[in-house]
Amino acid sequence: MKNLHGFYLIFALWLVVDSCTIYKKELDNPVDHKANDEQGIGSPTLVFYPKSQTKSLSDSVLIESFIVFKPDSMEPFAGVHLQIEFPNSFLELDTIKPGLFITDTSKATPLFTYSYDGENIIDIYTFFIDTVKYNIQGTGHIADLVFTPFNTGTDSIRYNLKFCEMIDYNDNIIDLNGDRAAEVIIQ
Amino acid sequence: MKKSLIISVWLLIIGKAYSLDLEPTILVLNQFDRQVPKVDSTLISNFSKSFFEFESTLNQLFGELDQVDNPAAWRMELVKELGIKHNVNFILFNRIKHEEKRFFMEGQLYNTRSGGLIHHRKIDLANYVGGQINELNLWVGNVFNHKNREWDDNRESILFKNPEEFEHQKTPMGAAMRSLIVPGWGQAYSGKKTSAKIWAGTESSLSLAILISFLNFDKAATGYLTNLENYNNTDNEKEVELYRAQAESDWDDHVKFNNLMIAFAGATGTGWIANSIHAWIVGPKPLKNIYQKWDPPSSAESG
Repeated sequence: MKNLHGFYLIFALWLVVDSCTIYKKELDNPVDHKANDEQGIGSPTLVFYPKSQTKSLSDSVLIESFIVFKPDSMEPFAGVHLQIEFPNSFLELDTIKPGLFITDTSKATPLFTYSYDGENIIDIYTFFIDTVKYNIQGTGHIADLVFTPFNTGTDSIRYNLKFCEMIDYNDNIIDLNGDRAAEVIIQ
Repeated sequence: MKKSLIISVWLLIIGKAYSLDLEPTILVLNQFDRQVPKVDSTLISNFSKSFFEFESTLNQLFGELDQVDNPAAWRMELVKELGIKHNVNFILFNRIKHEEKRFFMEGQLYNTRSGGLIHHRKIDLANYVGGQINELNLWVGNVFNHKNREWDDNRESILFKNPEEFEHQKTPMGAAMRSLIVPGWGQAYSGKKTSAKIWAGTESSLSLAILISFLNFDKAATGYLTNLENYNNTDNEKEVELYRAQAESDWDDHVKFNNLMIAFAGATGTGWIANSIHAWIVGPKPLKNIYQKWDPPSSAESG
């Protein structure tokens, strides 16, 4: 009976201590310019969403490519070149699709093309084409990349920032100041 | 030289013989808050060698000595005057005051020749059958060196023989332990109703503050976790901004209420222990002696 009292006491103490846990402030969504800023990553930023995902061999891996601007330093752009490197030791490229932002939420049909070197480098070229607008502005979704896993492993999909480029409709280059990779875990 | 020595011895013998024959004449002034029956007749019969004169109109002239700077000489002229007027050697002032089941008795004996206070006694003791008369007998017997075993036995009959063997129903430790379980209980157990209410009220308020802080903390923590999940699970820029703002607000709130909870818990814990210590301090003290004898200052005794 005494042991039971001890157990209740410990349980009550644990309940009190556990219920008063201070959570760590972990606001790190790659699409959030503040989160990128907190990480010391400059803007505009090329990011992938989600920043990390764990899949099984039977799943497909969907990675979304985003351009993220700070609200106070937005610049209109019309075309983007992305060079993406992925781990081909366990992932195989399946599909690449234009994102909602570059299609102006499916209102425009962009010029969207890509090249794949057959190894692990993908180059995506996309231009915003619309009958009324010359460019688009803000944070948005550029492309979706779908991979098929064929082996287990853990690695990152990343941008080769020095080969990535963003231009306005007059072909002026807009500097890209940061990028974030995405982690893929295949179990 | 030898002649003068013989004269001195004779004078001493005569003086002593005279003093032995001298019967004290006493003016008795009684100031009782209740009537004590047969005081006069009892004193006369118990101290047959003394002459008593009782006066009821002068007792207001004598009173509390605690506030007097020099109690030995504070009524010198009056005492001398009364001594001459009533032709007595001593003035005996007695005061009895009753308080619930106890009575308080004060005695002052003045010498009318010098006018000084020569004896003073204060006692506070439990009321027992015939206690007032018995204590007066003891007091008068003590000052005029007239002992009676019966009076001592009467008083001793109300004293505990072995006080250390008594099991006290209420103890300071009992009060402290009760207050450790429920704040204010120990004070209530000791009959301190006001402080019991204050402690119980204070601790209840602090506990309520902890509970309110905890509920707010829990709400904020749950809100933070929900908004964090929503924030992580969206790629919509507007939603990211919205969930981030809500998560940040909830996070700040959960830290704030946690700190408040800690502060209130600290205050409650400290108060709880202080309340227990207070209960112990004001707890019922065991009475090992039923009467407490007043220890007069030597100046008052010597007169």
